[in-house]
Amino acid sequence: MTQYAIITDLNRCVGCLACMVACKAVNNVPIGSYWNKVLRIGPSLKEGATSSRDVEMYYLPVGCQHCADPECVKVCPTGASHKLEDGTVQIDKSKCIGCQFCAMACPYNVRYLNEEERVVEKCTLCEQIVGQGGLPQCVIQCGGRARFFGDKEKGIESFEAPAVGYDVDRSYDNLYTGNRVTLGELAQDFDEATDLHRLPDVGNGPEFSFILRNREWKGGE
Amino acid sequence: MELQWPLIAFTTLVAWSAGLFASQSLMALVGAGKKSQMAAWVASAVLLAVGGIAVFFHLEHWERIFNGFGHLTSGITQELIAIVVLAVVAVVYLVMMRKSPDGASVPKWLAGVSIAVCVVLVAVMAHSYTMAARPAWDSVLWILYVLGNACVLGSATMAVVMSLKGDDVKPVALPALVGSALAAVTAIAFAAFLQASGGSFAEVGFYFDPTHPTKAMADAGAAASAQAPLLWGGAVAVGALVPLAAAFMGKRTSNWKLWGAIAVAAALVGAVCLRIVFYNLGLSVFMFY
Repeated sequence: MTQYAIITDLNRCVGCLACMVACKAVNNVPIGSYWNKVLRIGPSLKEGATSSRDVEMYYLPVGCQHCADPECVKVCPTGASHKLEDGTVQIDKSKCIGCQFCAMACPYNVRYLNEEERVVEKCTLCEQIVGQGGLPQCVIQCGGRARFFGDKEKGIESFEAPAVGYDVDRSYDNLYTGNRVTLGELAQDFDEATDLHRLPDVGNGPEFSFILRNREWKGGE
Repeated sequence: MELQWPLIAFTTLVAWSAGLFASQSLMALVGAGKKSQMAAWVASAVLLAVGGIAVFFHLEHWERIFNGFGHLTSGITQELIAIVVLAVVAVVYLVMMRKSPDGASVPKWLAGVSIAVCVVLVAVMAHSYTMAARPAWDSVLWILYVLGNACVLGSATMAVVMSLKGDDVKPVALPALVGSALAAVTAIAFAAFLQASGGSFAEVGFYFDPTHPTKAMADAGAAASAQAPLLWGGAVAVGALVPLAAAFMGKRTSNWKLWGAIAVAAALVGAVCLRIVFYNLGLSVFMFY
């Protein structure tokens, strides 16, 4: 079954916040609210650290995880929050009564009430762009080429990002179609058993994944 | 999360309303409190109506409430169904009561059904808040606590009504004492759970949120500690122990006008205090966003 998702290679993420800003710009996210937010995790002592300066850290972009069994969908009284056939979780704003139980039921706190429209919002995985064959804006504008978008059914190696290099066409139009590089081609080797992580799962089955090599993943799974 | 005052009022008033209706049904079951039946029914209906109005203030688009409303896995839908069932039973109760020879009796089966529906409504309402995403909320102790609210608020209010209406208060004395004892036990149990909830969140050690550069890191343990005075002072000492002592004094002196009113007032204060703590500790399991 199709399940669109984003995989972030945290070893490539430089914490430029471009994904966060790009998301706000393209989705008209209100001031003070975010669909995607980059946190700095750490500094933490490395395993086997011998001094307090022996530390490590990583950046963690957090947003809706488009869960397999989303709690937000379960608690929605009107069916405004729903899961589409492409695996994404979307909100039909015309059905939302603004009860905010979905925001309470989300383990990651990534939903918020849009004060102007008085309905709940969150990441749509840029369905308006993906529907036309493009990539989510946070993937397009990732400064470290750390974010990859794809269908989990086809395997994470097939996840795509805009190609990198001096000889590629980096015009704005070309960011949306073609000109792709896959995670399998670009990412360094990683062990799916030990280097692939998800945010804490309380039965909701988060579908986004994070690759983190040679560092300790924080915050449980 | 932010305090949701409409929901604080709604959950308190529904517990109070259902508790009162169950208490008057209990009195009907044992053939007591006949002078108070109508007054108690009206009071219960008013409490439910005010609670219903309060909850509409929580909804941002209440005019869309029937725009697809009815998703059965939703706690809100389940609550609405339970409230409609209770309303139907309450109307049947009123009709049967009015049609009875003394104007204040109902068949025993109906009294039993009324009590059961009250319990179900309160449990369903509380259950809608038990979410795996909010560790401090995710416990059956919360459901038992709200049922305890209904026990103390309902029985003590019934004692006051019976006292004011000139009914023999002896039949309600033991239920009021037992109700307040159940409320006290469940309040202490849930307060202990809330206090201990600080350790059940995801931890990432040091972190930094660039969108809140001057904000302190989220600390569930410190949040739980900060709520301790309101929790143990307001919700347990005032909200659970005072009503228990008042019910004890009421049973001993039969002066339910005074002791019943004290029990109700203290239980209300406690119910609100605990709900404030409930929301203040209602952090998501991954609370760094």
